[in-house]
Amino acid sequence: MKFLKTLPIIFLIFLISCSTQVSDSISQTNYKEVEGINFDEKDKIDTSLEDKVFFDFDKSTLNNDTKKILSQYVTESEKAKIIRLEGHCDERGTREYNLALGEKRAIEVKNYLIIQGVSSSKIKIISYGEEKPISFGSTESDWKQNRRVEIALF
Amino acid sequence: MKIFFIILIYFFSLNFEAKLKIEIIKGSEELPDIAIVPFKSSFGRQFEYDVRDLINEKLTLFGEFDSLELERMLSFPFNEESFYRRDWELLSMDYVVFGEVDETEGNLVLNYFVADIGLKRIILRGDITGEKNNIELITKKISDRVYESITGLKGIFNTKLAYILNPEPNKYSICVSDIDGDNEEILFSSNSPLMSPDWSSDGNKLAYVSFEKGFAEIYIQNLLTGIRETIPTLGMSKSAPVWSPDSKNLAFVISMSGNPDIYNYNLKNKKISRLTSHYGIDTEPAWSPDGKKLLFTSNRSGSPQIFEIKISNKRIKRVTLDGSYNARARFFPDGKNIVFVHGNNGIFHIATRNLKDRFVNIVTQTTLDESPTISPNGHIVIYSTKKENQGYLAGITIDRKSKFQLPVKKGSVREPSWSPFLN
Repeated sequence: MKFLKTLPIIFLIFLISCSTQVSDSISQTNYKEVEGINFDEKDKIDTSLEDKVFFDFDKSTLNNDTKKILSQYVTESEKAKIIRLEGHCDERGTREYNLALGEKRAIEVKNYLIIQGVSSSKIKIISYGEEKPISFGSTESDWKQNRRVEIALF
Repeated sequence: MKIFFIILIYFFSLNFEAKLKIEIIKGSEELPDIAIVPFKSSFGRQFEYDVRDLINEKLTLFGEFDSLELERMLSFPFNEESFYRRDWELLSMDYVVFGEVDETEGNLVLNYFVADIGLKRIILRGDITGEKNNIELITKKISDRVYESITGLKGIFNTKLAYILNPEPNKYSICVSDIDGDNEEILFSSNSPLMSPDWSSDGNKLAYVSFEKGFAEIYIQNLLTGIRETIPTLGMSKSAPVWSPDSKNLAFVISMSGNPDIYNYNLKNKKISRLTSHYGIDTEPAWSPDGKKLLFTSNRSGSPQIFEIKISNKRIKRVTLDGSYNARARFFPDGKNIVFVHGNNGIFHIATRNLKDRFVNIVTQTTLDESPTISPNGHIVIYSTKKENQGYLAGITIDRKSKFQLPVKKGSVREPSWSPFLN
């Protein structure tokens, strides 16, 4: 019995030890891999829905407009294999903190979609923090556009 | 046709280089006055001036000295016999650097002296031998010694800076250059973001974050071989790597379903251990110089604040109390002072603080300042800031006597990481 309990741990150690010492070279393709799943940007499903939802500074809470938009994704996501949620921040504050904040934002969106009935196994999240702004200026209107989660169906 | 191609290659390479050169913005009026005399040599006048200029370039790099123009010098001493103190008292100099270059068996031998005019004595006598084509390194070492004899701080002229170059959207490079901007090298380039370079304390490796696989992954790149390795974990988002003072451990952040916590990776036995566990954001670890504590940023109290964790018992203590946003701290080498990003009302400055008192010392005036890195002698801070949609690096000496910037021609430069002392 005791042995059975330790089995998953042994398996985990085995998995970890398999992936030690990776040295790799890099080739650029148009595939994006999130948690081991490949996306081809060409396979993105077109929807007529808003593909971005926005946030307040240093916040990851969803407002009512955002919730309305997300609710529309419930039926739309049925035809999708994967729902990719990309969290982003504005340039203010520190980069690594923003990386975490972008992830919190994506998680908030994910949790809301799950509550609405979207299957959690379909949802893949990634944060780019402040690294990928869509508006490059330093005014409130630029920042507003950059504090976002981008939703894409595949 | 050939020339055309050469020009093309030249322009192409220009596009993706930053070539950071330090520009002094403001020097204090009370800077020490220094005279650096041409080094007497049998190689001719030009060489004498060249050696002098190389040393002058370095000692004045960060705007810490006022250097006397050659035209105003009354005499050109090269040894203690030819040095007349009164010539320099008349010019109100504080320090005079002089010396000579000889050649023995194909090597250069440089004898150099530093005179302290106020103290009325020679405070440094040094000699250094090396090959003529190594004159750059030789003059760096002389400048380090001269700097130390005057300030009591180790010189940093033989150090490097790593940084992220973003020449255009969706192009990212990790670069390393000498601290004066020379010898820029691109370590790695990608179409996906690169972040958080951190130099190992032995100077041999750089850790950074790359999104090349579509998620945040930490890479450890050997600077001699170029070989890159990752931390053995199962495809989770990893970020904010920082080397321990002995280069044997890497503190970093693993995020599992949106809950980032601080972990430690032991490079020798490849073991990963968890240091914090809180449902909020824990990130941006930084080692204390004795390797016993880590600072980190957490929003566990509502807004981002700096906390400290003792490695041995994992006891956590809040460090910053004032302001709505305090993050990404780094220890000064004394282990008593920290530098961090201090935000209030949406304005972000670099600030320092002594851990014993509460006073927050704001050291920058621009409003989007981040990623401070400290020179290995603890005297200079370089950080990233932004102007007209362009990210660039700027710096300040912590006595605030000098301010400088490192402008970039094209695109943005950010996230500087100062190397340790190099040999």
